[in-house]
Amino acid sequence: MKNKVFSFSGEKGLKNIKKPIVFIHGTGMDHTVWTLPTRYFLRKDRTVISVDLPGHGRSKGPVLNSISEISYWLIDYLDSLDVNEFSIVGHSMGSLIALETSAIVPNRSLHLVMVGTAFPMNVSKTLLEAAKNNEQAAIDILTYFGYSYSARIGSNSNPGMWMTENTKRLLEKSHKDVIYNDLKACSNYSDGLLSAKKVEGKVMIILGENDFLTPPYKAKDLIGSFKNPIVKNVRHSGHTLLIEKPNEILDYLIEIL
Amino acid sequence: MKKPKDLKPDTLSLHAGQKPDEETGARATPIYQTSSFVFKDSETAAGIFNIERTGHVYSRITNPTNSVLEERISALEGGVGAIATSSGQAALFLAITTLMDSGSHILASNCLYGGSHNLLEYTLRRFDIETSFIDFRDIEQFKKSFKKNTRLVFGETLGNPGLDVMNIPVISTIAHENKVPLLIDSTFTTPYLMKPFNLGADLIVHSATKFLSGHGVVIGGLLVDSGNFDWESSKKFPQLTEPYEGFHNMIFTQEFGPAAFISKARKEGARDFGACMSPHTAFLVLQGMETLNLRMKRHVENTNKIVKFLDEHPLVSKVVYPRLSSHEDYDLAKKILKKGCGAVFTFELKGQKIAGQTFIENLNIFSHLANVGDAKSLVIHPASTTHHRMDKQALAKAGISEGTIRLSVGLEDSQDLIEDLEIGLSAVQKLTK
Repeated sequence: MKNKVFSFSGEKGLKNIKKPIVFIHGTGMDHTVWTLPTRYFLRKDRTVISVDLPGHGRSKGPVLNSISEISYWLIDYLDSLDVNEFSIVGHSMGSLIALETSAIVPNRSLHLVMVGTAFPMNVSKTLLEAAKNNEQAAIDILTYFGYSYSARIGSNSNPGMWMTENTKRLLEKSHKDVIYNDLKACSNYSDGLLSAKKVEGKVMIILGENDFLTPPYKAKDLIGSFKNPIVKNVRHSGHTLLIEKPNEILDYLIEIL
Repeated sequence: MKKPKDLKPDTLSLHAGQKPDEETGARATPIYQTSSFVFKDSETAAGIFNIERTGHVYSRITNPTNSVLEERISALEGGVGAIATSSGQAALFLAITTLMDSGSHILASNCLYGGSHNLLEYTLRRFDIETSFIDFRDIEQFKKSFKKNTRLVFGETLGNPGLDVMNIPVISTIAHENKVPLLIDSTFTTPYLMKPFNLGADLIVHSATKFLSGHGVVIGGLLVDSGNFDWESSKKFPQLTEPYEGFHNMIFTQEFGPAAFISKARKEGARDFGACMSPHTAFLVLQGMETLNLRMKRHVENTNKIVKFLDEHPLVSKVVYPRLSSHEDYDLAKKILKKGCGAVFTFELKGQKIAGQTFIENLNIFSHLANVGDAKSLVIHPASTTHHRMDKQALAKAGISEGTIRLSVGLEDSQDLIEDLEIGLSAVQKLTK
């Protein structure tokens, strides 16, 4: 299994792993969306496992079809690395995987951070249909609604980088049917509220104030199902919080992890 | 569900990369005329240095005014990011040195701007980077010219000064079959006339000195990354795909994905070679880019009128402009340069070298100088100036003779420009009497 899976863990690699922080990317993405925070935790001598899910980025396929299936796969992967306790951070689809994983092994998940999340995470028929046909339209929709209105004008805190095109390029590099599988997995996930009740570790939910894909109001029931979650609302950010507000997200991650 | 509607080029030219300043409310992009930036605290400083936080450190590497320009050109070209440099030559040098080691090979067009030709033919050769100059119209020859160590294909959207139209779709396909990226100098066309990334190019350089700034007041360059090229599967670019000792063994493709090239160019090239753009220059380029689309439209309209005038004039033996059916790339230009073929072109006067000199010296509105892309109209004699280091054979290959004159058509009233040219031509006419 280890040979088929790519995880970014910095120069240190996956040796002497102690209570790692596991980062899970969203639909059609890969580990590179977490580069900035992973570099922080690596500098602080923490173990980081920023994983490319099966069929994504550098990990071999096949793509898995449901949030539950991916979560069991992730636990198997962590077991193969002899990881017992961990903290887990996920964005969008990755947030659902992080939630489900924390619910399956509640005594092992010390912290759960859900970034840009909602439950249920319904996906529109138009988007699903476009993704099913592997159309560019799916990438355009995800990128367009993935950013706040103001971010479409730019003014990136990461100097000289044009945010929306970066996202498009990453999605365009995803393999055939990956985006469709991911979106379908998000849309079909139905255990969110029950799973939230099972989580034992500390929970933080980070939401973008101007998120069109997972608007903050759609996380309300989920938030209500956790015991004492910390909720952070990020001003002027859309769904792609890691690119729109990287420094704020890092500050919140440092606060809980 | 609403349909995605990306912002249009006219809007991006004015807004991309900049919002009103949060502190002061300034609407225009402020000029951050500072060498360095104060850190909030030691931990933030360490975080920015380690690329775990975003922010500015030192203006050689990034500057907020330059960042607006870099985002704006990225937005207009459809790239993932850009770097502003001290000149167009610096942008080309940065692109090449980010990808090349000694022993590398470049395949370049044989009709390049003289300065680019000098860099490739003479200067880089000293560092054991070899260039083969190829006629990109000869596709079979181009295919045969790849070597094991070829790392880059380079050409201009419109060759200088013969305006050879680069067949980017075909050239990029062949380059990619050979696992090599295509770098395009898009100075003459700007994103208004052509978007090379949409045609298959991987990297773009601009001399921002020309049409982008548009007023002949700055020297600057831009390097833009499409984020499209697959550096890993190419296996030819260890600079990007293997640990880089110069930055804690960072593997750029692994940490920055589609932005690997532009990140390496900044982390290494901008840092070590230091050919940065001044913030004041960036401001002036931004001012120019606000009206890029309006200006380019007028540049092209004026050029079409002047090309027609010269093409019909009895003292002119030849006009070289791809919108004329006599140009070898007429059909290709119709396909990939639908809005026009720019505002720079050459023509040949009947008679000897003296005819050209007499013509230029009698012009009053056209300025005799070594530049193009100014709002004001310009004229030059390439054989004795921009291309004077090339021998006769190389000049002929580039489509230049002793009688060739290059015009860069500005934004003046087209009738005034034609009348100015008539004065020059009348002076030539007197020589023959």
